[in-house]
Amino acid sequence: MTGANSQVGVGLRKAAEPAPGTALPFRVLRSEHFTLFLCAVYAALAWPFVPVLFSAEVAGDIVANMMPLMVLAAGQTFVLIVAGIDLSVTSVVALSAVIGASIMTNSGGYAPGNAGVPVAILAMLAVGCIVGLLNGISITAINMPPFLVTLATRMFFSGFAIWYTTFHTTSSSISDLPGAFNAIAGGFILRVPIAGTVMSLPVLPVVIAISATIAAHIVLSRSRLGRELYAVGANRAAARVSGINVNRAILLAFVISGLSGALAGVLLSSRLQTGTPILGENMLLDIIGAAVIGGTSLFGGRGKISGTASGVLFLVLLDTTLRLRGASLFLIYITKGAVILVAATLDVLRNRGRAGADR
Amino acid sequence: MTLNRREFTVRTLVSLAALSGMTVAVRAEDSKTIAVLFDGLYSEFWVAGIKIIKADLEKRGFKIMEAISDKDDNKQFEQVKAAIAQKVDGIIIVQTDSNAVIPAIRAANAANIPMVHFNRPPAKSDAHSVAIQADNQKIARDAVLYSCGVAKASGKKHKAAILIGNLGDPNAIQRRDGFDEAVGQFKDVIEVVSRIPTEWNADKAFAGLTNALQANPDISFLFTSSDFMIPQIQQALEAADKWAPIGDERHIIFTGFDGFPAAYQLLKDKYMEACGVQNLFYETTLAINAILDLRAGKKVDSLLIDPGFAITQANLDQKKDEMWGYTLWKETHKG
Repeated sequence: MTGANSQVGVGLRKAAEPAPGTALPFRVLRSEHFTLFLCAVYAALAWPFVPVLFSAEVAGDIVANMMPLMVLAAGQTFVLIVAGIDLSVTSVVALSAVIGASIMTNSGGYAPGNAGVPVAILAMLAVGCIVGLLNGISITAINMPPFLVTLATRMFFSGFAIWYTTFHTTSSSISDLPGAFNAIAGGFILRVPIAGTVMSLPVLPVVIAISATIAAHIVLSRSRLGRELYAVGANRAAARVSGINVNRAILLAFVISGLSGALAGVLLSSRLQTGTPILGENMLLDIIGAAVIGGTSLFGGRGKISGTASGVLFLVLLDTTLRLRGASLFLIYITKGAVILVAATLDVLRNRGRAGADR
Repeated sequence: MTLNRREFTVRTLVSLAALSGMTVAVRAEDSKTIAVLFDGLYSEFWVAGIKIIKADLEKRGFKIMEAISDKDDNKQFEQVKAAIAQKVDGIIIVQTDSNAVIPAIRAANAANIPMVHFNRPPAKSDAHSVAIQADNQKIARDAVLYSCGVAKASGKKHKAAILIGNLGDPNAIQRRDGFDEAVGQFKDVIEVVSRIPTEWNADKAFAGLTNALQANPDISFLFTSSDFMIPQIQQALEAADKWAPIGDERHIIFTGFDGFPAAYQLLKDKYMEACGVQNLFYETTLAINAILDLRAGKKVDSLLIDPGFAITQANLDQKKDEMWGYTLWKETHKG
């Protein structure tokens, strides 16, 4: 079984490597670090139009803005690798935020104050696990399409989050969260003076998100589970024949995605010091887009966390430069949509090319 | 030239680092820039609001950094941070959530940039900002009181329905309270049989009113917490055969709020008895003056009130020029 898995892994790695002797532009285009290169080129091109882009302050904002998206996109990468999709992840962000807030809020929470923070965070992570498990079971046991299952759970849990909030506040969100929880995003700020401006970095969100991303990278690239996920995504029937427990792999991918949603819920609700039932509602396109731009295939079997992280950097750079230029929301949506469409089209073409080569 | 993966990665990272090394302290190109951050342009009120604010700021020589967050609190926080990085001279904001905006106010406070909340106040906190708000309760009460008078004069008993906004929005709560205050004075004539939650969603308003009319076909008194729901209200009333002008047996005594162009049209065509009007022009002036005063180091009250007014069938001709919706209506009905 292990041999079969590693063969699949080697095959995929070989496909990603440009052939020796290929011209440099093609080598760059086909490189797995293409998105990182794109970020550098884009930043260089944008700089004359948005000179403030390279100020320490904006650089700090870019890093801080990347963190929740990076956690979410890393989780989504697992699901995409097994040829699935998780549309419910933003509802996990919202639901975990309001459940956590309802537990620890100083205004009538179940376990108010700083003492309630660990309980609330555990409850938030549990929410992510449960929703992920529910998605995974529906897909593996009942054999429902991931798109349909997660679309339904997205609607259900988004609605549930709003309904749940109405029982805990007369407002539309749950506030008055304990200082220890708010300190996650705002308590430990690293200030680095560079050339007259100061880069302010929230330490804990960066540490949490980077740790989660590295852990995800290790799982995918170094563990047996990682090899199984790639094998399941590349060819489910072959993976099953090779002795891989396909259902278990898919289930775990959705649980990891759910967990990433809950972790992002912790980061975002701490940042806003509020649990709101619409938290993260508009992030879905960015989450899937970052993974796809980073080279994760919508057809499964291909993708890396490092690529996804580059995709997140690219989208946040794009967002930040357009915002600093004062671009309208519609222009930002159109630009991001176009970039993601190009990335998805390239993925389809590459996949078609591979299918042709297989024949 | 061959390039292995390690070399490629190193070179890319070096390029990024080199670019980052060109760190520069940059102020906004013009020293007078105001960030105008709205959470959405979901109705004519907000479209007109941002248009009037921009026109007024431009007239006063300001540059504008405009951003819409599409009801995304986190995105709006990032927009505030971007405005701070651009070192703008002030921020006019319409937030989605009155609690979630507090960290953004604190960030603006730390950067010593004045922040003004347009039409929607934040939750109470130790953060400093100024909010402009219409006296929703008084405006709603005055408009509904006029309609209550009409109901009493009819000599009949009336069953009433209210379309309530998002209860997370203090404006929605105050409008509801204004309605309750008014109908509370006419208990002998008006009985409230339906309270329809809309969450500021037109579809929910339509479905809710349709259901209310099915459950209580004798509803004859209606208040909407915002005029943006007028098309859905008309649709639901038409379906129930209750869309008729004043004087018709089927007419429902109808009160609006906001002062939309559609509300003016209904007042003019005698489908609506009264409408509570927010004075958008006055609120804009208050917001911009507050920013200027704060920048000049003057003390400004944390809440500035737009008293607004009720426009009714009785004072339509006298008050219509103060109604922002009439100004827009006039533009589209030239000639």
